[in-house]
Amino acid sequence: MATVRFRVNGKARSVDADPSTPLLWVLRDHLQLTGTKYGCGIAQCGACTVHLNGGAVPSCQVRLEDLSGADVVTIEGLSKQGDHFLQKLWVELNVPQCGYCQAGMLMAAADLLKKNARPSDADIDGALSNICRCGTYPRVRMAIHRAVAEQS
Amino acid sequence: MNDLSMDRRSFLVSATVFAGGMALGAARAAGQPGRSGPWGADAPAGIELSPWIEIAPDDVVTVRVPTPEIGNGAMTQVAMNVTEELGCDWSKVRAEFASIHRDFVEGGSYTSGFLPFFSGHGTDPVRMKQALQLGASARERLKAAAAARWKVPVDEIETRPSLLVHQPTGRKLRFGEVAAEAGRIKLAAEPALKSQSEWTFLGKASPGKLNLPEMVKGETVYGIDVQLPGMVYAALMQAPAQGGRLKSHQPEAVLRMPGVRAVVVVDPAKTKGAPVKPKATFGLQGTAAQSGVAVIADHYWQAKMALDALPVEWDAGPGAQWTSTEAINEARRAILAKAAGKSIRKAGDVDAVSGGKVVEGLYATPLCENATLEPLNGTALVTGDAVEAWLPSQDQGQAFWVVVDETGIAPEKVKVHQTYVGGGFGRRTLSDDARMVLAVAKEYPGKPVKVIWSREETMRQGRYRNPVMTRFKAILDEQTGLPKAVSAEANATGMALPMGYADMPYFTSGIIPNVRLATSDLPLNILTGAYRAPCYNSHAFITETFIDECAIAAGIDPLEYRLRLLGKWDKSWSDCLKIAAEKAGWGKPLTKGEGRGIAISNWPKGALRNEGTTMCMVAHVAVSEEGTISVKQVDVAFDCGRVANQDAVRAQIEGGVIFGLNTALNEEVTVKDGAIVEGNFDEYPILRLADAPRLINVHFDALSNNDRFEMIGEAPMGPIGPAVGNAIFQATGKRLRTTPFRKHDLSRTAADIASETGVVVTSLSR
Ligand code: FES
Ligand code: FES
Repeated sequence: MATVRFRVNGKARSVDADPSTPLLWVLRDHLQLTGTKYGCGIAQCGACTVHLNGGAVPSCQVRLEDLSGADVVTIEGLSKQGDHFLQKLWVELNVPQCGYCQAGMLMAAADLLKKNARPSDADIDGALSNICRCGTYPRVRMAIHRAVAEQS
Repeated sequence: MNDLSMDRRSFLVSATVFAGGMALGAARAAGQPGRSGPWGADAPAGIELSPWIEIAPDDVVTVRVPTPEIGNGAMTQVAMNVTEELGCDWSKVRAEFASIHRDFVEGGSYTSGFLPFFSGHGTDPVRMKQALQLGASARERLKAAAAARWKVPVDEIETRPSLLVHQPTGRKLRFGEVAAEAGRIKLAAEPALKSQSEWTFLGKASPGKLNLPEMVKGETVYGIDVQLPGMVYAALMQAPAQGGRLKSHQPEAVLRMPGVRAVVVVDPAKTKGAPVKPKATFGLQGTAAQSGVAVIADHYWQAKMALDALPVEWDAGPGAQWTSTEAINEARRAILAKAAGKSIRKAGDVDAVSGGKVVEGLYATPLCENATLEPLNGTALVTGDAVEAWLPSQDQGQAFWVVVDETGIAPEKVKVHQTYVGGGFGRRTLSDDARMVLAVAKEYPGKPVKVIWSREETMRQGRYRNPVMTRFKAILDEQTGLPKAVSAEANATGMALPMGYADMPYFTSGIIPNVRLATSDLPLNILTGAYRAPCYNSHAFITETFIDECAIAAGIDPLEYRLRLLGKWDKSWSDCLKIAAEKAGWGKPLTKGEGRGIAISNWPKGALRNEGTTMCMVAHVAVSEEGTISVKQVDVAFDCGRVANQDAVRAQIEGGVIFGLNTALNEEVTVKDGAIVEGNFDEYPILRLADAPRLINVHFDALSNNDRFEMIGEAPMGPIGPAVGNAIFQATGKRLRTTPFRKHDLSRTAADIASETGVVVTSLSR
């Protein structure tokens, strides 16, 4: 066991757990932030995507021991009121089906648009490798296109 | 004016019989509504106008929906149906899950109509009428209450969204202001429904799902997200060869690991059995517990680490006879060779037909896993003689009775709470997963136990897609090129539904005079179950690939061929074919290495006119030199009669196209010594955004406007695979008779591609 201090959604947190515990389970089971989802545990599905020090990462691949001083943003912290422009578009365009993948999708899309205000389709393809079993991909792409159009 | 009895109880009881014999629900138990949320306060916030509808003083209308929300929008659709007749403002409507516990203790508040708690069939007409009636009956009570308050005749009152207006004077009352009085109204008769032409909301508006605002904030509570005070976590492993047994394990090896509380064994013999006759929606067959072991710890990661470290030995049992996938296929081929299947469709005499070109092929589909993105899980608290469980089920009515059966606890002491569901596709229908949750939790009573299947455990303990192998044979008429005889032997495992096979109008309409279709079963120890559009997802691929082969052999364009076969059948089939083809640019020239394919089918009632959802797709596919398949465009035309929410239908078709495309291109679990080999998405590929067709064009032009609102989620699973396979044939000249397509080598040299001419023979005559 080891106590590790880091920030989650702007708040200082300290977690005492096995140093090998993945950030995914730290968030879900220790900090009760269940918006970040478990889908595969092996960096395949992207359901667990969070922003770590400003970049999108699969949280199942980040160990607690590597988090000291880190800054983590989860879907619960993407915006204050759920009013990030992508969240609003996701609702407007009826993007989610079951929704289980969508926290990861949104975190990946937000990261992409932060780094690249005008992504091409190829950029979108490259940045969003998240799995959606329900097949919401056409709407995810449409929402990102709309976001680009509205932001510029 | 209606009789104004102020007896709330008599309202509720008087409302038990509505049009169509619907039971609205008995009086609710005093002070204890037993609702279960999607999540939230347990106390009612407003006035109930039935167990389904609650109106709060601020006009918020809560609709309690027995069907779970698995992503298909079923919950929102029920709320829309109520809204149409109730006349409330949609922005004031919310939906929550009806409680199966309440249903039980009240004697059937929600148990009416067709599969009331099942997640499929969300907009079907049976349920739609109920919801409309609930809305209408509530509206008339609100009007009667306003009339009583104003002392005016009720027919002078009109509704505006969430408002009651006295026409002659313009006085207004909000729904919330009279809800309490309305709840005590007794009507002389329940109102008739509006005619569909008077609808202002259904079929007109396309609202998104009601639960999206919370969902995009990460606040939706799926089964895996349930949090309870004192909760512990379990990691589960079941016998890798299904039906096998735990031989030995050494708990001492892991009990000292951090956070570990216990190692528990799941023994199928310890299922207690229900103390009363269970009324499970789909029966309890196929829900048996599997021998397994679970580690219980303070946190899931601790439980999983300990489970991974736990020394376990399994007795594989009879499943080990299936040494490989090839062994299974060998057994299938042997059965087919006997041609001794049960005949399920027969016309004329296939044996008497001779002469003419013979088209013959052996087709097969593999075991596939539903791979819901939310791994299987559930949470339960077993205490002495009671149990409470939180389950991401596709049918509460099934889950409830499985919980009763596993624990032996009296149903009145069993509370099951529906959570949101991170994908179902049939996997969460039978509640075998719920049984395993309870089998673990009852070994650790007094604490809520959240049981989580790892992805690997979820994938290797599936209830797999029923694999089908079929030998088809046709003899073509020398003049018309159409089959004069078709015979087929299909072999499946477990559930044997005819959809896409014996119900196809090719074989039922009389256009082919001699038909013999048979089916046989191969019992496997590997467990099969429902996978989106069961059986149809195999049969439609096979039949529509075979029909395409007949067209090519006859030298007739595959579209034209189908039109000729279906021309005398229900016009919507021809309409779907023509519209999908026209929108796709059928017949227009394509670059070398590209092709278009077409396919059509109906879920679930192809043999009947004006029934089910008929759906045609044209796929435009490119196959690279390396053999990589990319689906550039899919055009969909369909007839489900009418649609109540166009965007919801579009979303289901888009998702169904992508799901079915993945089935055809990618999916197969393989078998080794009775166990499933693939464990995670690195071995079981799922299409990503980059691989999905850029264009999935859903065309509404083939809708017949026949008076039905048929289900839409399953139908796309039929035509997409064969449309793509048939397009691959047009592109490459290679005929794919088995899925997944990724296992076929489609590579060619550049010179080969340059010499590909396309195979379509005649041009389209319309
Ligand atoms: S759970 Fe982390 S990528 Fe799938
Ligand atoms: S919406 Fe269900 S997995 Fe993406």
